[in-house]
Amino acid sequence: MSKPAPIRRMPQIAHVDVNCFYASAERAFDPALEGRPVVVLSNNDGCAVTRSPEAKALGIPLGEPWFKLAPRAKEWGLVALSSNYELYGDISARVMELLGRYSAWLEVYSIDEAFLGVKGAPDELLALGWTMKSAVRRHVGVPVCVGIAGTKTLAKLANKWAKNNPAFEGVCHWDSVPAAAREALMGSLSVVEIWGVAARLTRRLNVLGIHSILELSRADPVMIRDRFSVVMMRTVLELQGTPCIPMEEERIGRDQLIFSRSFANPITTAAAMRQVLSVYGQQASARLAKHGLQAKVLTAFAGTSHFNPKETSYPSACVRLPVPTADPVVLTKAAHALLPRIHEGVRYARAGIMVTDLRPTGNQAPLAVFENPHEERHIGTLLEDVTRRYGRGSIGLGHAGIRGGPDWTMKRDMLSPRYTTHWDELPLVKAA
Amino acid sequence: MGVLVGPRVIDAGMSLLSVLISPVPVAAGYPSPAQDYFDGRIDLNEHLIKDITSTYVVRVSGDSMEGAGISDGDELIVNRALEPKDGSVVIAVLDGELTIKRLRVTGTGVVLQAENPAYPDIRVPSVSDLVIWGVATRCLHHV
Repeated sequence: MSKPAPIRRMPQIAHVDVNCFYASAERAFDPALEGRPVVVLSNNDGCAVTRSPEAKALGIPLGEPWFKLAPRAKEWGLVALSSNYELYGDISARVMELLGRYSAWLEVYSIDEAFLGVKGAPDELLALGWTMKSAVRRHVGVPVCVGIAGTKTLAKLANKWAKNNPAFEGVCHWDSVPAAAREALMGSLSVVEIWGVAARLTRRLNVLGIHSILELSRADPVMIRDRFSVVMMRTVLELQGTPCIPMEEERIGRDQLIFSRSFANPITTAAAMRQVLSVYGQQASARLAKHGLQAKVLTAFAGTSHFNPKETSYPSACVRLPVPTADPVVLTKAAHALLPRIHEGVRYARAGIMVTDLRPTGNQAPLAVFENPHEERHIGTLLEDVTRRYGRGSIGLGHAGIRGGPDWTMKRDMLSPRYTTHWDELPLVKAA
Repeated sequence: MGVLVGPRVIDAGMSLLSVLISPVPVAAGYPSPAQDYFDGRIDLNEHLIKDITSTYVVRVSGDSMEGAGISDGDELIVNRALEPKDGSVVIAVLDGELTIKRLRVTGTGVVLQAENPAYPDIRVPSVSDLVIWGVATRCLHHV
């Protein structure tokens, strides 16, 4: 394209993430939780993995075991909920699909956060931030904050600022904030607060006289590369305003695993997308197996090319797996749930899958191994017939079958309804 | 295999209801050009869901909306992103509960009405005094 270039503005990056995602997803369907302290517990109802602002205000630390909280829950009015991964997966898919409408470039970074490429004058960027914030609230019912800056690292920092300082009302455009205020903020935050700096490196940075984010931003990138790593150098460059953190293709979060990449040549057919999703399914399987994990929920997503903003489309599909699994065949088939939403001829520039609701493989492994071959040999039907006649637990495969799948052993006493994914668990509306 | 969930679960459920309909009566010897456009089954998602990101299905509990043809146990399709207007059937948050009412916006104030004389109206000064969770667009009434 050789059009005369109008005033070009450097593209910026918006980082959008949902506030207290799991707790907010629960509130979206249960308004009675609004204003009350809410914690969402990890698998097996172990410890608090998400706290609503009210729960934080009570001084409940992240990761606090439930047995310590339970005795005081009543006195606090604390509501504890088991992780409802199917609900969170669907809410996440809705948020990402909606955000995709506001940018031709979207990187799903985790279950509750995304980076988007944005352009415009500062006031336009702020307006876009507000628009996205209110759209997510209206469509999905969850609150988000938005940070906009020249690099991913600064966008994340801006978002954190927007979350912690009510004056921003949830949207912070880094470059619109006076430089003195930005430096004051960076000077007040420890390096451990910045995205990409591992806590274990803090002491080594401190030895060099680097304590705050501001000091890190003033460090010599080459020295940092030599003493630490390229990763740390990128953080320094990003803090200085040079974008250099590429799209990551594989990420492991606290309770999720993501595979995604952009394609050199856009994918335009469902057949090609099927292949890509199959590759991810197998990669996810290998990665889960390596970490001794199984997944119960899978989300597959795709996005259009950012070279053609006219056909913006970000379809996604969230799939509940029959049993927790790391089986490549099961994961691949699940990822294919996206295919009906892939339109022939549309140019998809990226795709990915995310697996959540992870739990250790433990001694349930034989169940997953037997699950599929037996389906094909009609042993499943036989088992069902016997179960129907003689009751659950009367027959099983090896000892795994008889012992019951992990879902029966998984403790989830405080599970909310799977409002959006099960016909028999729909939200109830009172007609009275 | 995994059951489709998320926005697509509705698809999975409704495929059972899908009807194979040919757009024109098939007459022997008269190939219809319109049949070239035949594209398979009616997709209820396409007709009932305007925006998949903001559409939810909820279940009615109670008889206060009988007059609007909405009965106990019916499912409603609700769009959370729609602007509620005078006459909309809305899901409002009342005492922390999702409650279905008819919204009336008049010159003198705002009323949440039941469609059953047994239930009283709820009056508020303006719509901003209400938390409207969503606007019902369809009722899946059990006949």
